[in-house]
Amino acid sequence: MSRVNDVGGQTGFGALRIEADEPPFHADWEARVFALNSVLVRNGVYRLDEFRDAVERMDPRQYLATSYYERWLIAIETLLAERKVLADG
Amino acid sequence: MGDFRAGERVRVRAGDPAGHTRVPRYVRGQVGRIVESQGRWALADEVAAGVAEPRVEAVYTVAFAARDLWGEGDHEVTVDLWESYIERARRAEA
Repeated sequence: MSRVNDVGGQTGFGALRIEADEPPFHADWEARVFALNSVLVRNGVYRLDEFRDAVERMDPRQYLATSYYERWLIAIETLLAERKVLADG
Repeated sequence: MGDFRAGERVRVRAGDPAGHTRVPRYVRGQVGRIVESQGRWALADEVAAGVAEPRVEAVYTVAFAARDLWGEGDHEVTVDLWESYIERARRAEA
């Protein structure tokens, strides 16, 4: 069934906040998460669409309560645990 | 299926796959117009599902009237869609 990420055309999420001169990242850890994901995809640990799938597989309540790069980190952890790169927990 | 040309009318398949897909819910079942081909790419649904050798298909930019999708708006919405997401619209729909 359609996942929590597929919200195009839905109302109720409030207005879009558009920042003037928005920086690529709002915190250093976000840049590290971005870089980590790039390295993992380029080294074939997982593929980009598998990463997108992992973001979409998040618990919908958690998805809606987290920021963009928090979702990235959660998806990275999910995939690394599933591939036994990280130990559970 | 496939080999669509610019200007052709296509209908997006209405199915709701269980896993990852690049079909936004708001275009499912809708009729749009082929704008141009974007070349051939591995089908994202199969890549996401871990298929070792995913199908490689044509990807098309398809334009929809905003009014068809949401009942208002005079602009067009364009979405890039893999060949297996769409089918030729019947003559009556075109």
